[in-house]
Amino acid sequence: MSITAETAKAHAHDPAVLCCRAEGGITIEPANLEDPAIFDDLVDSGLLNLDGCLTIEEVLGAKLAKTCDSLCPLTADVVEGAKAPSAPAEEAPAEAAAPEAPAAPAAPTAAVPTAGGVLKIHIGEGKDIDLQIPVGALGAGGTEVVEVPAAAAAAAAPAEEVKEEKVVRSLTRKHFKITEVKRGPETKIEGTTLTIREGIEAEVIADQELVKDFHLEIITPDLYHTYSETVMDVQPIATKEGDDDIGTGVTRVLDGVVMMLTGVDEGGVQIGEFGSSEGYLDENIMWGRPGCPDKGEIFIKGNIVVQEKTNMERRGPMAAHTAFDIITQEIREVMKKLDDSLVAETQELKQVRRPGKKKVVIVKEIMGQGAMHDNFILPVEPVGVLGARANVDLGNVPVCVSPLEVLDGCIHALTCIGPASKEMSRHYWREPLVLEALHDEEVDLCGVVFVGSPQINAEKFYVSKRVGHTVEMMDADGAFVTTEGFGNNHIDFASHIEQIGMRGIPVVGMSYCAVQGALVVGNKYMQYMVDNNKSESGIENEVLGCNTLCPEDAVRALAMLKTAMAGEDVKAAERKWNPNVKSTNVELIEAAYDRKIALVDNEQSLPMSQKRKEKYD
Amino acid sequence: MGNVQMLLRQHVGAPCAAIVSAGDEVKKGTLIATPTGLGANIFSSVYGKVAEVTEDRIIIEPADEQPDEFVPLDVPEGAGKLDMVKAAGIVGMGGAGFPTGIKLSINLKETEMGELDPEINPELPKDFKLDHGYILINAAECEPGLEHNIRQIEEQCDKVIRGVKYCMEITNADKAIFAIKKKNQKAVKTLQKALENEADISMHLLPDIYPMGEERAVVRECLGVNLTTTQLPSAARAVVVNLETAAKIAEAIDEKKPCITKNLTVRGKINGGNAAHVFMDVPVGVSVGELIERAGGIDGAYGEIVMGGAFTGRSAELDEPITKTTGGILVTIEFPDLHGANVGILVCACGGSEARMREIAEKMNGKVVSVCRCKQAIENKPGAPLKCLRPGNCPGQVKNNMQFKKDKCEYIIIGNCSDCSNTVMASGPKMGLKVFHQTDHVMRTVGHALYRTLKVSKQVSQDIDF
Repeated sequence: MSITAETAKAHAHDPAVLCCRAEGGITIEPANLEDPAIFDDLVDSGLLNLDGCLTIEEVLGAKLAKTCDSLCPLTADVVEGAKAPSAPAEEAPAEAAAPEAPAAPAAPTAAVPTAGGVLKIHIGEGKDIDLQIPVGALGAGGTEVVEVPAAAAAAAAPAEEVKEEKVVRSLTRKHFKITEVKRGPETKIEGTTLTIREGIEAEVIADQELVKDFHLEIITPDLYHTYSETVMDVQPIATKEGDDDIGTGVTRVLDGVVMMLTGVDEGGVQIGEFGSSEGYLDENIMWGRPGCPDKGEIFIKGNIVVQEKTNMERRGPMAAHTAFDIITQEIREVMKKLDDSLVAETQELKQVRRPGKKKVVIVKEIMGQGAMHDNFILPVEPVGVLGARANVDLGNVPVCVSPLEVLDGCIHALTCIGPASKEMSRHYWREPLVLEALHDEEVDLCGVVFVGSPQINAEKFYVSKRVGHTVEMMDADGAFVTTEGFGNNHIDFASHIEQIGMRGIPVVGMSYCAVQGALVVGNKYMQYMVDNNKSESGIENEVLGCNTLCPEDAVRALAMLKTAMAGEDVKAAERKWNPNVKSTNVELIEAAYDRKIALVDNEQSLPMSQKRKEKYD
Repeated sequence: MGNVQMLLRQHVGAPCAAIVSAGDEVKKGTLIATPTGLGANIFSSVYGKVAEVTEDRIIIEPADEQPDEFVPLDVPEGAGKLDMVKAAGIVGMGGAGFPTGIKLSINLKETEMGELDPEINPELPKDFKLDHGYILINAAECEPGLEHNIRQIEEQCDKVIRGVKYCMEITNADKAIFAIKKKNQKAVKTLQKALENEADISMHLLPDIYPMGEERAVVRECLGVNLTTTQLPSAARAVVVNLETAAKIAEAIDEKKPCITKNLTVRGKINGGNAAHVFMDVPVGVSVGELIERAGGIDGAYGEIVMGGAFTGRSAELDEPITKTTGGILVTIEFPDLHGANVGILVCACGGSEARMREIAEKMNGKVVSVCRCKQAIENKPGAPLKCLRPGNCPGQVKNNMQFKKDKCEYIIIGNCSDCSNTVMASGPKMGLKVFHQTDHVMRTVGHALYRTLKVSKQVSQDIDF
């Protein structure tokens, strides 16, 4: 399709190809040119050969020497009066006495992170230098490679007024070590042994009409190879001290043990069937993901059977979560009474504001389509039920929370179909992007916005417009938008990015995309995308937490947002998902920041399950 | 002669209201229906008796004798020329049917230039102004296969020019330009001779591509101004009038003759061959079947009867009447059978609506699995007919082809103009899409080249070098 003057400008350095037949003698205008966005497909299918093709900026205003047909690449022999190409690096001030850079894409000769949030790369004299500092990877339509033009990169860090860091509030986590979980006449903690009252199952069943059966299992590491129904949630066992609110004061948490809720309906259908994680636990859990158990932990695993056919209705999973919390709550009550002498470790989390630094906000999209897709927001206890409001009931509108509220379990997640990319409750407790941004001294994290993903498009745009205004009134310099899952929710994910981006605020989008989750929609503000995929083939492999946001993704996203906020261009994504982009990005960031980024394992490190063998790998 | 059916709606606007009833005697020129809103008077085109008045038409049983005399327009002594045009019930006879009396109610001398969209007028300065008011005579006869317009130039050039001068007088236009395709050499020569001493009337030669007769294309070709899809020619200080309409204006003013006849071309799969049968001054309301019989009758099995042109016309039945806007009756060969194959349709402003394209797909026994719209086809209002942003200048089509491919189309049916069809052909077949044009069955019937690859230039020299 022909392009506008604006598009032509944006694609000045892309190949110039006639969209339609044009007659010799005409002056070449944007309306004569095809949109470079589709060239890859055309080249792939052999319809287009761009060898020797001039760029758009070279041909605009030049004369077409002879009549050429549609999809004719404009080469020097058919264009009269082509302009000289402008080298993007031409105006780079060569300030460092670095060795002469080769004319081809050059490696940074010296790269140091600076306090200004700018990735500073000194380049010696040279031209046409495209430094590629890619920070992400994703499927169709996205963007994955940051291209730092030398001019911008070599610019000095902006002089900033140095202001004091301010600790807004803090949160203390007292860790209690648990090494053994057993059943007994009463729920108690003695030393590092947690005992759960025998017969508590009956209360769980009695609590909710829709809960038809319940079994409690203690899964110790030697029992990891146990068959399980789909994992509905993984939760930390934590409680507030006294009257402390979530996100402030003191939280007590048990280490070495997690709550795990699993379930089916009476008909044996998995909750979230057609994308569920049932199977042997050790084959279906991606150890160590923020939302998953760590290897070595004990699971207090409750398997709930809900009324037939309520597995995909909201009320089924809600009943299951509510009933299961009876056990957790009983443990919480015990924890409140524990003597401080049992505290194994104390950790203080600070909410730090950094006035004068680039202000960033994290927008986290959570599921709110109804059916089984929902989240409880802001319970009284960490990842509790009491006091929380269901995201769907709130109308999915944005809810602003402090970073510490996130880390203190303000989201009780009712995850659903697609376990590899869904964020379990524990994910928020260890949310990597919040932690990374909170600790990054180059940015000022002002807060976290949760926004639900409604089912209907009209509602999606209703909430995304609220997100736009919310971020606008924060005067943020940059934003992250993260999502879990893929497909339907990518519509609002894209819309959130658009609503923020149209306000002139750079946005880094984070989602699992890769192959199966390739974006279905897009807009021009989706230039900075980070792919959370970890799976080998780029798919939703039903391995719990496999493709969720991990520290390595948070690092890339932060580097990308800083680049974008510094006003530097980002190179468009490759057409097809290419995992190498991510690894190159990571290497470049490691080099630039002189920091080792540990990459997490993927499902290939797990024993192969029958399901994976048959369906995926 | 069979019954004559005068449709109450033969124009843009609301249907007229009948002012006669069953049993009334009518003559040629008897006023039988008047506008209820935007519209134009309707007169009986024959002598006879009203047989029936229904919701949408007046049916007249014609008398055996049909003298040439007609009832002259009932206008007061000394009525102005515009009033006579209005009274005569003239509408745009090129097919659009906009009431001419209303179109000409403009003073071009005092009409300001509209604001030009710089995006589609990159070569014009921002404050570009035209120094004259223009009557542009649409003599493009752009629908392939029709010949009655050009025939009228050749045979009634003086009458047409008289009509043009009346239009100039009514609208205070100081210039007039005939837009005519250069390929019509005889008509061009005729016009050239007739305009020898007309300082203010000139000719602009058009290339033989589709569409050149689109109103805004005429403005662009003659005046170099691209109008947006919502701008009227008045934004370029112009009024575009079809040449047959101009002739009707001359008749109304000179002879006080109401608009009761139509020139048209009957052509296609007709006994005796596929050459055009041009019928001048056919009474409005005569049936399609009667005209086909007059031309020789349908030659065996046929595909469909198209009323209007191959691009913008529609399928019609034999018993339908012609109206003031009917230009062509085309009997086509049978459709190919796609045996239920997957078909994509590319809808654009130049060809049929989506409904028409789907009808053709169905007649070809194709299963429509994908519908794309040309990027330049603009729907000004929901449901309004599409208008092309830059008629005859393609915006690129490869993306649509990619979509068709993705939707697993085996065939595509396109309704595009010459330039866009050419673009579709640049990638479609290479992608494995088999391309049909919605006009194929008509073009094959009349022996016209199919709309595929463009082989002629979009520019023609203005020299009359033949």
